[in-house]
Amino acid sequence: MPAIVSVITLLLVAAPFVGLALATHWRHFGFADGDGNAVIVSLLYSLLALILIIALGTPLAWWLARHRIRGLWLIDALLLLALLTPPLALGLLLASMYGPYGPAGSVLERAGLVLTNSAAAFVMAQFYSALPYYVIAARAAFESVPRELEQIALTLGHSPWRSFLHVSLPLARLGLAAAVALAWVRALGEFGAVLIVAYYPQGIPVKLWVNLQDVGLAAVYPLLWVFFLVAMPLPLILGLAARRRRLI
Amino acid sequence: MRIDYTLQQPIALHAAFDVAGFTVLLGASGEGKSLLLRAIAGLVPAQGEPFGGLAAQHRAVGYLPQGYALFPHLNAWQNVAFALHGAQRRQQAMQLLERVQMAAFADCYPATLSGGQQQRVALARAMARRPQLLLLDEPTSALDPVTRDEVIAELIAEVHAFGIPTLAVSHDPHLAAVADQLVLMHQRQIVQIGMPQDVYAQPASGAAARLLGYRNVHRGHIDEARQLVWPEGGIVLAVESDVRPGTQVEWMIDPAAIRLDEGTDAVPVSVEVRHVDSRITQLGLRCGQARLWVAIPRDMPIPPTPGVYLPPAAIRCWPADSRLG
Repeated sequence: MPAIVSVITLLLVAAPFVGLALATHWRHFGFADGDGNAVIVSLLYSLLALILIIALGTPLAWWLARHRIRGLWLIDALLLLALLTPPLALGLLLASMYGPYGPAGSVLERAGLVLTNSAAAFVMAQFYSALPYYVIAARAAFESVPRELEQIALTLGHSPWRSFLHVSLPLARLGLAAAVALAWVRALGEFGAVLIVAYYPQGIPVKLWVNLQDVGLAAVYPLLWVFFLVAMPLPLILGLAARRRRLI
Repeated sequence: MRIDYTLQQPIALHAAFDVAGFTVLLGASGEGKSLLLRAIAGLVPAQGEPFGGLAAQHRAVGYLPQGYALFPHLNAWQNVAFALHGAQRRQQAMQLLERVQMAAFADCYPATLSGGQQQRVALARAMARRPQLLLLDEPTSALDPVTRDEVIAELIAEVHAFGIPTLAVSHDPHLAAVADQLVLMHQRQIVQIGMPQDVYAQPASGAAARLLGYRNVHRGHIDEARQLVWPEGGIVLAVESDVRPGTQVEWMIDPAAIRLDEGTDAVPVSVEVRHVDSRITQLGLRCGQARLWVAIPRDMPIPPTPGVYLPPAAIRCWPADSRLG
């Protein structure tokens, strides 16, 4: 019974992609102007956003996993809030805070950091949309590491930092790999928030929309295939690597 | 090495005693023994000496928790080398594994090792730290009962070979019996310290006797006729004790000292359980509301309507600890 349900579920998941394969005009497979640039923009800035997410999100996730503080539910609620906000609304909120007339935006703009229709704005929108996913998944990954093992590392003369590096990180690697993959997919695919704060530079999701508007469906499918091609390797490799003992 | 530690949280506890050779701190579950070890290792806040005020990573202790906590992502030699540095670390780890007869398993991951093997790897790992004190938390709890005595013997031999003062906390009388020194803890206080043969010969209280694994430790009181009233057993026993009349007592009798006979002055009992080993038979006898254990030669016949006689000289009484209620 579970096998039958699994097959049905997988067929449901596969259906849109079968549709895509059938709908694509393979004989006239071609790209619209600017598609190449959109691929570069998406890859480069998503990578930047991902690095920022890992750098800032990992310490937060570990701290949340390891410390029991009063008012923790407030932090949980905040993360949930960030997760729940519809992407379009998130873009609007970002614009109202970091836009040229926003309280943070006006200050930052004077310091030379423009957070509207700029590379920085693009990365910011991706960062905001993917960070809560990463933190929640990474926190669960760290919570699965027995605390006793981290403490044993201390009694063996390792500093808390080295204990984190040599025990917590390797033992949480499966969950962390999933968290990174999730953040990558989320950042790369972000449309709503990016559309509001950074219509330019155009990454793949916004360019798909522009192609649909300007040319039609025929210009959407080729770029969508490229999107899958460039988005897939990282999560795929992470998943495979994390399951092998020594790679991460 | 003198241990003197005071804990406030999560429970209040003070313990002061010397650790010499293989010292076992014997106490029931929930006494805070493991907590004391963690305090000495610097893993829970506490005041005391040695190592007082130092962070865990700066304390020269080898700590083996229950279940040994080997790193599952590292194989045996990598676990041992965890505390080592430099180019020679693999070689040094192998030497330590050889000392605990585990060199052949150097490339095995912890999940593939037995409890005893994991314990030896954990011991080698703790020794790599060059500790001044070894701390073992319930070292027999994860062992297979069939091989436990062998593993304990190996452990003691290895600890003696390393020559590091060792404190093992346990509730296992088997481990206590092989210690160089025994410390008994009851209701979060040290109640007796001594060599195992002395402590076993003269338990300081009924609670101490129970910790040591003695059977037939019961409550009662001494009446005006200086006889022992045992309410649970529903009988009154003659004793040779100088405890004052009216005193609540704990009393004990060696199962081998009890005589099984059918005489008219014998206390009638019924056999509940028979525990046979190679030399003797231990009988669990129902006596009133309580159970008495009697040890008899293996081939001795059991009378059809058994009774027991408890020689007054074999009964030992202690005034009951008022805190027991």
